[in-house]
Amino acid sequence: MEKETTFDSDLIHAIFKHIWTRRSLERERNGGTDAMESEFLLHQAGAGTSKKNRPTSANANALKLSCELLRVFVTEAVQRAAAIAEAEGVSKIEATHLERILPQLLLDF
Amino acid sequence: MAANKIPIEINGDDDDEFDWEAAVREIDTACQSSKPSTSNSTNFNLCSKANKKPSTCKQSTLDKFFGNLGPKPQGAEEFNEGSSFDESLCHVQIDAEAAKTWIYPVNVPVRDYQFAITKTALFSNTLVALPTGLGKTLIAAVVIYNFFRWFPDGKIVFAAPSRPLVMQQIEACHNIVGIPQEWTIDMTGQISPTKRASFWKTKRVFFVTPQVLEKDIQSGTCLMKYLVCLVIDEAHRATGNYAYCTAIRELMSVPVQLRILALTATPGSKQQTIQHIIDNLYISTLEYRNESDQDVSSYVHNRKIELIEVEMGQEAVEINNRIWEVIRPYTSRLSAIGLLQNRDYQTLSPVDLLNSRDKFRQAPPPNLPQIKFGEVEAYFGALITLYHIRRLLSSHGIRPAYEMLEEKLKQGSFARFMSKNEDIRKVKLLMQQSISHGAQSPKLSKMLEVLVDHFKTKDPKHSRVIIFSNFRGSVRDIMNALATIGDLVKATEFIGQSSGKASKGQSQKVQQAVLEKFRAGGYNVIVATSIGEEGLDIMEVDLVICFDANVSPLRMIQRMGRTGRKHDGRLKGYMRKQATSKAIKKHMRNGGMNSFDFHPSPRMIPHIFKPEVQFVELSIEQYVSRGKKVKDDHAITTPIFKEKLTAAETDLIAKYFHPTSDSTWRPSLIAFPHFQALPSRVHKVMHSFRTGMLIDMMQHLQGLTFSGDDRTFVEDEVSSDKHLGLQTVEPCETDERDNFHGTKKVTDSELSTRTLGTQEKHSMPQSCCKSPAAHAYLFYSDFISVDALGKVLIISVPALPFKELSHSKKKRAPDTLLLNHWKQDSSPLKTSDKNYDELTVQSKAVEELTTSQAACIKDGALPISRFCRSDALPEKPLDGFEEILDSPVLRRNQLREEDTTDETLDVNEIKEPLSPDDEYHNDLRDSELSPRLTNLIKSGVVPESPINENGASNNKGRNPDLASPVKLCSIQPSKFASLGKTEKCSKYVRASQGNVSISPVNKKIQTPLLKMNHTASAGGYSPTSPIAEETKTPLANLANSSCSRDWRLSSGDKSENVEPARKFKRLRKVRDCEQNKNSENMKENAVAPVVNLARRFLGMSPIQNKHGRGRKKPMDNMREYIEEEAEVSSEAEVSDDEEDDEDNNSYDDSFIDDRMNPTATSTQAESSGVDMMAIYRRSLLSQSPVVRQPNFSLTYSPDSATPMTRITGSGSSSGKTLISMQTPHSKSANRSTCRNSESIQTIQQQTTSATFTSTDLIRERERNLENRKRKLSYYHSGSTPAINLEPKFSFHSEDTGKNLCQQGQGDNIKANGETIDDDQFYENLDLDAVEEHAALLLKQKSEFSVREQEVIPQSQLQKHDIHCSPSFDLGI
Repeated sequence: MEKETTFDSDLIHAIFKHIWTRRSLERERNGGTDAMESEFLLHQAGAGTSKKNRPTSANANALKLSCELLRVFVTEAVQRAAAIAEAEGVSKIEATHLERILPQLLLDF
Repeated sequence: MAANKIPIEINGDDDDEFDWEAAVREIDTACQSSKPSTSNSTNFNLCSKANKKPSTCKQSTLDKFFGNLGPKPQGAEEFNEGSSFDESLCHVQIDAEAAKTWIYPVNVPVRDYQFAITKTALFSNTLVALPTGLGKTLIAAVVIYNFFRWFPDGKIVFAAPSRPLVMQQIEACHNIVGIPQEWTIDMTGQISPTKRASFWKTKRVFFVTPQVLEKDIQSGTCLMKYLVCLVIDEAHRATGNYAYCTAIRELMSVPVQLRILALTATPGSKQQTIQHIIDNLYISTLEYRNESDQDVSSYVHNRKIELIEVEMGQEAVEINNRIWEVIRPYTSRLSAIGLLQNRDYQTLSPVDLLNSRDKFRQAPPPNLPQIKFGEVEAYFGALITLYHIRRLLSSHGIRPAYEMLEEKLKQGSFARFMSKNEDIRKVKLLMQQSISHGAQSPKLSKMLEVLVDHFKTKDPKHSRVIIFSNFRGSVRDIMNALATIGDLVKATEFIGQSSGKASKGQSQKVQQAVLEKFRAGGYNVIVATSIGEEGLDIMEVDLVICFDANVSPLRMIQRMGRTGRKHDGRLKGYMRKQATSKAIKKHMRNGGMNSFDFHPSPRMIPHIFKPEVQFVELSIEQYVSRGKKVKDDHAITTPIFKEKLTAAETDLIAKYFHPTSDSTWRPSLIAFPHFQALPSRVHKVMHSFRTGMLIDMMQHLQGLTFSGDDRTFVEDEVSSDKHLGLQTVEPCETDERDNFHGTKKVTDSELSTRTLGTQEKHSMPQSCCKSPAAHAYLFYSDFISVDALGKVLIISVPALPFKELSHSKKKRAPDTLLLNHWKQDSSPLKTSDKNYDELTVQSKAVEELTTSQAACIKDGALPISRFCRSDALPEKPLDGFEEILDSPVLRRNQLREEDTTDETLDVNEIKEPLSPDDEYHNDLRDSELSPRLTNLIKSGVVPESPINENGASNNKGRNPDLASPVKLCSIQPSKFASLGKTEKCSKYVRASQGNVSISPVNKKIQTPLLKMNHTASAGGYSPTSPIAEETKTPLANLANSSCSRDWRLSSGDKSENVEPARKFKRLRKVRDCEQNKNSENMKENAVAPVVNLARRFLGMSPIQNKHGRGRKKPMDNMREYIEEEAEVSSEAEVSDDEEDDEDNNSYDDSFIDDRMNPTATSTQAESSGVDMMAIYRRSLLSQSPVVRQPNFSLTYSPDSATPMTRITGSGSSSGKTLISMQTPHSKSANRSTCRNSESIQTIQQQTTSATFTSTDLIRERERNLENRKRKLSYYHSGSTPAINLEPKFSFHSEDTGKNLCQQGQGDNIKANGETIDDDQFYENLDLDAVEEHAALLLKQKSEFSVREQEVIPQSQLQKHDIHCSPSFDLGI
């Protein structure tokens, strides 16, 4: 039932990982200056320096939840944009339709 | 207990059966009147048992009571169990219905012994000792199945000692009784405990390994309370601390009431071991069958047991002797001490030595000094090792023995002890030599010989051979030996999990795979250790070779059981001696009652239920192994997202996400600020609080721009309300409109603010475009984007600013308004270029207009037109447009002409409007033809008839109309003038019902003509409009018959060519509504004329709007509409009936009132053009819609007559054709007669008097509707049009007043037959009515206004007032 069709959690995880690694790389690149700071923060947070380099991870349930959230988000976006498109008598959702509903959509989530 | 003992005691002597019966009676106190006869039934196993062996039972009880020795009394125990069982019943519910029977499957041929054993096993804890291959599993499966049936919540456990067995049994059970697979689960140690815990909750039949069972019972994950049945396979293992025993001990300590069924082929060779098993498993019944038993023997396949004795090889013998040499001194020494029995040391076995050592350890001989202990221990150890080596040597050959010895000599006490022993060294040397020779042990070669022989006689593909060996080392040897045979033998090993030094174990997966392949034929020989001995059910095995036969008889039996299951099989043993267990059979016979102590067992099924056997052929689904299922599930879940994108999708992605460049498309959040002022439509996720804040903010921000102008703001609201009203017309598209709403507001506000400032500003309403063209373009673009809605928006937008402008700067405002208007007009009509031209021209013209009055008039006219559009557009864009175009535009033009006398402008303007008209007509035609046809086709053949009937005139009229307007428009827009009219008129006249149709045409023609007189070019223009109207009205009429709405709607839709999709929607809606409306068609027909009238009368537009909305709205609005219709129809009907006597009937009057009122009002208007303004103001102040209505009617007075006729015509179409036909004629006649204006005047007077009532009614209806709607929309629409109309009629009246005179002349000139009459009639009417009834009308209006004022507060009009009042004021 819940299984209907949601995003493949592996796919989502891959995307997340992609983002995380890119982020961490960016952080490292920028890290020259604020390495001290971050380390300090980490120390304050009680985390070891080893954690700094550890990429972010998500456990299975978090991933599942993320998939569901994304699914809801996407469907809502599509439905709202579709409503706009339909109002215009167009059968294809264009970017402009999305732009119209986007601000409120983003605030709704 | 004590109470029970007594009867038992007493009865014990008499009879066991009785005693048991008493106990039962005690147990089942409430419900069972247990009969003594129950003892006969098989339910009471103990009874039957007792019957079998009464003496033993008696004895046991006696023992219990008098000696407290030996076995426990069964009866008492039974009672105990029974009572507790009753208590425990609450744990597991019994399915009473199912418990009436127990099911025995007949899918396989019934075997009596199986049936008997099953019957027993159902009602007592049973140990089934059945020779291998005789179907123990079937018994278990049947028992499981019945408990599965009886206890819907009960859990059943089947325990088998190894994973392959578990897998085998779950499948076997399924294939026997077909327990649904969703209830069964196999659980081994491979499944994690947490998973197992969930399985314990969800499943009901568990196939487990005993270790799992034990662990889960200890951890509590196993729901012991629900256990009802426990089947233990290979029960002979239940000794010592094996998992079976601990698990059952745990269960019994709870205690749990459950049925235990133990299965084994080899219960044991000694009475003691069997007793142990019985004790451990709480067995109360022993079911033993021997192969030689009568009922079993027929099912036993012949099994040939060959014992092949192989001489040990020369070397082996030598080595053996050497080992004896080594052993002898030690044994003698030990026996000297008295630790070993004094017997031939060659007969000693390692086991004997072990026992002796244990004895020694427990009770060392007292005479032995302590120091010697270590020595003795060493002796024992060495001896055990030596004996072991010797055995290896004898049974498996030199190599394993050598390896053993080698290993032992390397380390440990044996090495220390023996390393200096010369004999041992020699032995080792000998072994080494023989191994280096590479000589095979004679046993191995013999075995190969046997194998080859076997496969010669049997097809190697279908024959299976199992070779048992006790040691993995020899397994490896055998495997090596088999490898030399070649293709014939495909051998593999089948060994346990544990990994030794020499060889790695097989994981259970590998074991499973091996068995699978062996079954399938991938291997035909497996070389197995003891793991293969038990339970493997491989049908095709027809040869079992026990490489080392000198194992326990129990294991031999098991090994033998692997063959002969399907075919006769052979068992070959290489053994020195075969220890048979004849002795034990003696004990087992006769149920073992005399030799074993049994335990009581719960009956499980209350005694009320006496299940009867039921033989059922079970339908068993194909067994799907769990592993496969999992795979399938997995396969289903994954593929969805792995599909590749289509080309279109990739293109789409590429459109927004350029892979190379980093300038990926980013959606803008600020692109559509107007959309953020209103909540967007949501799908499932509701708007959040933050969104609400955003919306508020946006509204606030956008509201700030016109905060300074309260009025404008109000107006904006009003307009929005209007829009809402329009929205209501099309509920489906409300959202869109809402969206547009925001834009409208914004535009309105912007426009207003800017218009207030300067024209330039005005010209650039939204963005800062300064050229009017750009302005128009903006609108246009909006329009385009918005489609049909856009139209409405545009219209409304200009209207509001227009009002404001009129307030602020009347001169310029009209200009802008006009511009807007033109834009509106033109934009829907398609051409942007023309619009621009028009706009420019108009702007010029407007600039030229200097007089404030003109401005005012224009203001009035413009709003009128605008309102008409806004009102009419949704429903009948055609009419609204046409009228708008015709009347307001023309009027404007005329006004301009009059005021400014710029003919050029006029011409230009005229041309421009014409062009839109042309387009319009084209649109109309398209719409008319195609949609109508389609509608007709869809609706069926029926519509055709109305077309023919009503359409006779209509079609004729239409065709010429259509043709003519097109021609007119296309050919001679400017100069068409009178000729076209006359032609049309003639055509119309020719039409049978031409009167009706013609009249409007004529009228309209007249009105335009009047105007036309001023300019010839204008004339051509006018005809178009009436034609359009005519076409429409007849169409509407036609549609009324069946698909009127469709038709109208379609036409309306078509007029809005811009949106085809929408049209379809509407059509669909309409069709949906059709069914509902069909019944109401009649009424509608009656109403239709009214509508037509309304169309004619701009003032009627509100009504129209209502109708239209009602139609377009779904059912909700339909009701209102229906009500209206009903009222109208009633009137109409009455009128129809009485129209024959037109003059006399009040009803006619009332009906006519609508039409007449206008006339009267029109007369009024004419008479008092100036007054109208005053009235207008008053009305504004009073805000009364009533005033407006008369006003409209006034404005359209000339048209009023036509509507009359049309109404009648339509009425005729509706079904009272005859009457209607008469009526029009009569009317026409009347009118013709009415050339004498006097009669008409009288009528009019009557009508006017009646009109008050009628108008009141109408207004009331309107109000009602409004109230119902509660959306100010209608009211606004109504009120606003009224306002607009007022100005309109103001100049209309002026125009008419002026024109009428001219018209009359023109009419006379053009008059053809009836048309002339009508025209004259109308003219007369107009003139007379105007002059005479002006005063009356004024009074009426005032009255109305008063009334309305009264009424308004009652209803929700207050709001309207609020909204309207400013607008009115503005209008003033």
